[in-house]
Amino acid sequence: MERNEVSYLESRKLVKRWQGPLPALANSLFIAIVFYATWWIFQDPRGIMRMYTPYVGYMVCRWLLILFIWVAYIFDFWPFKKAWLDRTHPLIKGSILVAFSVAAMYLLIKVFFVDILGNFGIAYFNPERLISMGITEFYAIEYAAEAIMMFAAIASWLSPSWVVACENAPWQDLPQPARGITIVTITFFISMIVYFLTMHSHMAILFYPWQKFTAICPPYWEEFANTVSGNFHIAWIMCCTVVVWLFETIWERYPFNLIKTNWLRRVASFFGIIIIAVALAFFLYFCEELAWGPAIRGTRRLMAPDWRWLHVGEMAIFWLCPSLFLTFYCNNWPTKFSRPVNVILRTFLTAIAAVLVYIVYYKTSHLFLGTQKGFSHPQQFPMIPMIWLINLFLVNVWFMDGWPGWKAVPKTTEELEEIKSEIVGSDVKWTPKFAYGLLAGLAGGVAVYFAIINFIPWFSKVYTIIK
Amino acid sequence: MTEKKHEGVSRRDFVKGAATGVCAGTFATMGLYSYSSSAKKRLAKITRSMKDFGVLKNVKITNISETSWFNNADLIGDIHEAGGLLVNQYSLNWPPFGNGKGSAQGSYESGIASIKDLIPKDLDKAWGLQEKLSLHPENAGGYACLIEVEELNGKTHKYLLDTGWSYTWTDAAFKREGIDKMLENHEIEALFISHEHWDHFWGFPVTMKYDPTIPVFIQDGFYPEGLQYIKDSGHTGPLTSYKKAVNPFIPGMAVLKFDVPIINRVFGEISLAFNVKDKGLVLVSGCCHQGILKFADLARTELKYENDRFYGIYGGLHISPFEDWDPKYDDLVISLGKWGFEKIGCNHCTGHLTAKKFVEAGYPVIRGTARFRSSSPDYLGNGDKISFGA
Repeated sequence: MERNEVSYLESRKLVKRWQGPLPALANSLFIAIVFYATWWIFQDPRGIMRMYTPYVGYMVCRWLLILFIWVAYIFDFWPFKKAWLDRTHPLIKGSILVAFSVAAMYLLIKVFFVDILGNFGIAYFNPERLISMGITEFYAIEYAAEAIMMFAAIASWLSPSWVVACENAPWQDLPQPARGITIVTITFFISMIVYFLTMHSHMAILFYPWQKFTAICPPYWEEFANTVSGNFHIAWIMCCTVVVWLFETIWERYPFNLIKTNWLRRVASFFGIIIIAVALAFFLYFCEELAWGPAIRGTRRLMAPDWRWLHVGEMAIFWLCPSLFLTFYCNNWPTKFSRPVNVILRTFLTAIAAVLVYIVYYKTSHLFLGTQKGFSHPQQFPMIPMIWLINLFLVNVWFMDGWPGWKAVPKTTEELEEIKSEIVGSDVKWTPKFAYGLLAGLAGGVAVYFAIINFIPWFSKVYTIIK
Repeated sequence: MTEKKHEGVSRRDFVKGAATGVCAGTFATMGLYSYSSSAKKRLAKITRSMKDFGVLKNVKITNISETSWFNNADLIGDIHEAGGLLVNQYSLNWPPFGNGKGSAQGSYESGIASIKDLIPKDLDKAWGLQEKLSLHPENAGGYACLIEVEELNGKTHKYLLDTGWSYTWTDAAFKREGIDKMLENHEIEALFISHEHWDHFWGFPVTMKYDPTIPVFIQDGFYPEGLQYIKDSGHTGPLTSYKKAVNPFIPGMAVLKFDVPIINRVFGEISLAFNVKDKGLVLVSGCCHQGILKFADLARTELKYENDRFYGIYGGLHISPFEDWDPKYDDLVISLGKWGFEKIGCNHCTGHLTAKKFVEAGYPVIRGTARFRSSSPDYLGNGDKISFGA
């Protein structure tokens, strides 16, 4: 296999510049500095641009995430050439690719959503139109940003899913930019359908009276989710976004990569991610009920079902950060066991790390990020700093080859051959012992679940995160 | 040798299967059980402590001012320009903490420095000075109400809930309703500050002007600036900061505290509950950032009250204060009926849109007279009164 037959990210190997933990420490320090500097410049309510209103800042970081995914995963860095990517210093390359992504994001938000959709399709995408109809300017901008952001939330699940789960099929053999344009178009189209099915009714009841002629009001999920808020959908969609990346990183596409039939593996992966995400969303919602008691419909904040659903998505994002860190900066440790054992160890480690990040965030974020103290303030969006951090991880690893701790070297022919075999796993075989283990494991999994749900009420009684 | 090798392979296969099974089993149970009716049954049943906090004859409330500000666009525009709803309220450069440096460049220290020597005695001059240093001083109004309580034995009590914002607006409203004289005569026994927000608390020197010895009740979420403002305003009476959730005050009256984060870096709110003879529970709030149903739920869980029935509400319910909307507010409009309130005296941050939706839903919202710059009769306005009980 030649280097030009695989994507740029697949064609390179990141090599540590120094032995031991130094590269991870150096990159952590580098990212922490860039995070805090950029947070202050763009997001912090006490900083310079103060986009954390919160929806404007939320919209920007979600769309940046999408653009990074499009540039690196979908378009394989087109129109930039591999030779340029190989020879350019990571700092220069990173700056240019980020600037390119920001420009594309601006065009998309301003031209497509605000100017085209907002002027010729749906008024709530355009703040000026809302202001002219009597909505206070601040809320007009927030409503439009919320709608545009939700589109990004859906796309940030579907776009990587098409690459990770569907393996770019059926357009995997198309050259760039045809492949990128096709996949962006199809995922954008599906995102639009999902948006109409999940968020349009939420937007329609923002206005008085309910816009019953243009959207289903009250929405169909009201009885099931115990709220008319679209936050119910944010919960499972955010979990989908997170599970896609867990599947790609710490799970190494296991277990769906054991399916040899291409179409079946892709379909199973795509819908498997959704099923796992929905299960995770229900579980996290239940955790909240166990810790804080049953939600009371119509109330606010911590006890409100709409906030509880939103917080499901927030909790899920806390899991993604340590998972990406483990993959990017710890070489997906541990790697010495069989794949299923590695997967379960990483899942356990990152889940524990997520809980720790969650506790530290809520204990301290109001001290240094300018966010509001407490869990449930309507303007407390941990998703923004978390996604901002994830964006920096992606820029560092995808656009800057892991600089300063790592450098990119071309993969050898043998290493390139391994990529093919990675798509279909051959390290786990169906044997009677495997089946016995699976059965025992299933029972163990049920036991683990009940151990967790018994632990949470006790833990929430003995430990208070925010005093 | 081969057998041993085979055994090793088998064991490894078992471990691989077990690892896969644990993940699959955990996620499968998450999906199948977590949102089921069986899971709901596991949730701790709420035990009502039914604390007997006494009963009283009636509660009368005079709305001194519910118009905290007069122009939503200016208020929200200032907040937006400063960086949004998370910006510290003392940095907004609103009066009385303006320093002339513009949006988001204010601070408690620089603001108070310009008026410290003038409060609480020369409030007109202090406000006049601040009008030159701060943003949109003409937009400031304030929230305050007088609560008159009659015990079963006929003994009466007067309390103030909140103390407005603009010194001039609040002082004029106090004079209009005779509050100034009541304070001077020490007829008003206590001032409750529901929370630290500008429109409920920053008019504090107005109350101090007439009675600096009045007992003041706050909660432990106050920030250092707020505590310093109480001192700088010349308060010499007792200051109580509630830490507990339920605090009986006099027979039939309790102060409930809620740890709730609030916009513009404010934390916590106290609200009042009254047990009215033969009627039921009356809930009175400043802004009710905790949410009216959370308020009602805590009262139901903790307190014993007449007929085990919710009777009335008064105050800001903090639903659509800027006439903004969110689907979660519809959750409230849909759900409120189940709680059975017989008299809803809402105003202030409840929002006119919410009042309209309440009326459309058939709830007993008491209409107002739209006097003294209250903008609509949708709900109780400035100078309007409401009474609960005989």
